[in-house]
Amino acid sequence: MTRDGDEFRDSSMGTAELHRRLAAIWSTPSGLWGALSTVDHKIIGRRYITTAFVFLALGGLLSMLMRLQLAQPEARFIGPDRYNQIFTMHGTNMMFLFAVPVMQAMAIYLVPLMVGTRNIAFPRLNAFSYWMYLAGGLLLWIAFVVDAGPDVGWFAYVPLSGPQYGAGKRADIWAQMITFTEVSALAIAVEIVVTVFKQRAPGMSLDRIPLFVWSMLVTSFLVIMAMPAIMVASTSLILDRLVGTHFFNPAEGGDVLLWQHLFWFFGHPEVYIIFLPAVGMVSAIVATFTRRPVFGYLGMVMALIATGVLAFGLWVHHMFVAGLPRLGESFFTASSMAIAVPAGLQIFCWLATMWAGRPVFKTPFLFVVGFMVIFVIGGLTGVMVASVPFDTQVHDTYFVVAHFHYVLVGGAVFPLLGAIYYWFPKFTGRMMSEVLGRWIFGLIFAGFNLTFFPMHILGLQGMPRRIYTYQPEMPWSGLNLFISFSAVILAAGFLLFFIDAIRSARSGSLASANPWGATTLEWATSSPPPPYNFARPPVVESLEPLSGDLETLPVASGLRVDRRELLTSSVVHASPEAREASPGDSIWPLWAALATTLMLIWSIFSPWAVVWGSVPIAITLIGWFWPKGVPEDEA
Amino acid sequence: MKEKVSSFSNAAFALAGLLFLAVSGGILGWFRQPRELRLDPPVAADLDRFRLMPNGISGSPPESYFAIGKPYESDAYNLSQGKRLYAWFGCGSCHGDGRGGVGPSFLDGWWLYGPEMVSIVASIRDGRPHGMPSFRDRMTSEQIWQLAGYVQTIGSYTPQVAAPSRNDDEQTRPAENRGPAKILFDEGPVGVHPDQGPTP
Repeated sequence: MTRDGDEFRDSSMGTAELHRRLAAIWSTPSGLWGALSTVDHKIIGRRYITTAFVFLALGGLLSMLMRLQLAQPEARFIGPDRYNQIFTMHGTNMMFLFAVPVMQAMAIYLVPLMVGTRNIAFPRLNAFSYWMYLAGGLLLWIAFVVDAGPDVGWFAYVPLSGPQYGAGKRADIWAQMITFTEVSALAIAVEIVVTVFKQRAPGMSLDRIPLFVWSMLVTSFLVIMAMPAIMVASTSLILDRLVGTHFFNPAEGGDVLLWQHLFWFFGHPEVYIIFLPAVGMVSAIVATFTRRPVFGYLGMVMALIATGVLAFGLWVHHMFVAGLPRLGESFFTASSMAIAVPAGLQIFCWLATMWAGRPVFKTPFLFVVGFMVIFVIGGLTGVMVASVPFDTQVHDTYFVVAHFHYVLVGGAVFPLLGAIYYWFPKFTGRMMSEVLGRWIFGLIFAGFNLTFFPMHILGLQGMPRRIYTYQPEMPWSGLNLFISFSAVILAAGFLLFFIDAIRSARSGSLASANPWGATTLEWATSSPPPPYNFARPPVVESLEPLSGDLETLPVASGLRVDRRELLTSSVVHASPEAREASPGDSIWPLWAALATTLMLIWSIFSPWAVVWGSVPIAITLIGWFWPKGVPEDEA
Repeated sequence: MKEKVSSFSNAAFALAGLLFLAVSGGILGWFRQPRELRLDPPVAADLDRFRLMPNGISGSPPESYFAIGKPYESDAYNLSQGKRLYAWFGCGSCHGDGRGGVGPSFLDGWWLYGPEMVSIVASIRDGRPHGMPSFRDRMTSEQIWQLAGYVQTIGSYTPQVAAPSRNDDEQTRPAENRGPAKILFDEGPVGVHPDQGPTP
């Protein structure tokens, strides 16, 4: 033990003593209060992931209801009003409550570990973010249960969602749910950017950052730039509906198309907010299971950034049938096709990695292979619908439904399931079943293709999306019945996945610190990691810090052990700059989230909520930021 | 220890979830609004069987109306349907945007035959002296009740959460949910007022 002035440092402390002291200062206290006030990124990340998968299961149930209704013509199982709510809930839930949050949740858990730090930046904001997300999800689902779920489609076009046609509070609940999830997403994005820029392990210069971390960094910038557009849109919609403003009223100088532009300026980057993290997951899995680094690291990073930039230049291709100047159509066709270039580059880099490596076909890698097949098919139909004449034909048909399920499920859910299999030992300390994993992959891969490929054909046969039933004279009933049966296979795969995940978390075989022989830093600590992640901060000397012997991983020392402390480093070279205090547990983020929830839900019903509801928010924020009577950096 | 902490955090998670569930469930249950797209035919027929006082003012709705929860006064969907019917059946040609014109104003909150639903329903269904036509043969009973509920909203003294918002038209007056109409804005020139006009 070293005494440096009045501070306890870890410099020459014995390992056992160091672990004991770090555990004392970093652990989350047990009990309800500890659980509600924790700021540990691993606990919050695990909660986030679990909640997102619950929403995935609920959204999946909705899709099965829709398949039941569409299995035969003129079915009477669900009425038109409930069906409208169901397809709106399915899309909204999957996009806003599952896909984006689950990707960010993986980042909350993994990024601090992968960059070798002890907690995420702004950990209390992180706790706040989770509570906001939970409240938004509950708002939407409770509204649905009491028959007040949104029924205007997941992109809620005006005038259908506007004051004249969207009766009741249904569209307001949709719009306010957006506010909840965007607040939480923006909070995480800021945390990730700061964590990646300022908290990397010493020596992890920009060219040594793992590709998953790069992808989450680019994603976070996308979130920061795209989400404000949708918050402006949803707030304007609520204002139009509640206090009678005229943002979207053409008769008073507003514009209906303004909604579409604002929504898709967010909505298209949203696709990449979901896809880019998947790219990072695929890169991590490919590198591990081919036993070599991903081919073309620089090219991969450049492709990530290029995708991020291009993502903001093609939102109008969602609006080809809204009427555009010819030059606009041509420009957005060109940019839509251009984004296939960086995506293709990434695919070829992975293929080259597999070619040059020695692939081990374990479950995570199987999901990556499935991803490549499905995502390429989805990408090809993407290039098709990027062309205006073709898009005009298939717009709002099941062809589009098939296309975006191929890119979203293929491009995000397959890598995500692979990533769950891959990182599950790190999350829980236990392995998932390899045998069940192969069955699950087979069922989901086959079920997915059998379900969604025929939808291309249905679309070309003219079946519109969002219809609650169809007449027996239409030539669609055979394929629809086939799709509904195939959906059962797909659902069985997911059911098996949930069973395997729950079973493995309780009684799976115990995992070592690095069960896959991977080379990134999250595997340098135990499974699951201790509350302080690393007893001594690792020092990085290459892109693959664990490629050598784990015992020889260089570490930094000199950190205090009598407070939560971590290293900050410079942006480019990650040379250590300072020892920084990391905030301790606090209950105030929960109170602040509750106060914000009160204000946001109340403001659906009365504009005065913004005035009076801000009082409790102010009180909770004052409590949150109340000076502790110690120097600021002591936290 | 690890297991214990995580089971505690699971319990806490469930508890917080339940708390949210209870609170938001309560709030939303209050505003529960299932839509009746096709009214049960016996209920629809029963809507016609309200009883009016001998002078044609006030009375009592059928019992079944209370049984289904007075939907035409408090339900956003029915009120917005009423607003569409107001436009489709040309109510505005006499009553304007609620300010009146040839016919009496609704906005001023002065009801020639009282503010009860049955009075308004009777006015629409059977017509009234001095020019109010009967819509008995042009609308279903359900539509008449929907329209009556909307008309009642126009002159209400307290704004209703369920009242419709503005239309995508030129704005001539604040929307129905921005009431109370009488206080919020000048109603402009009114039509026939009972103090000046003929007795009902």
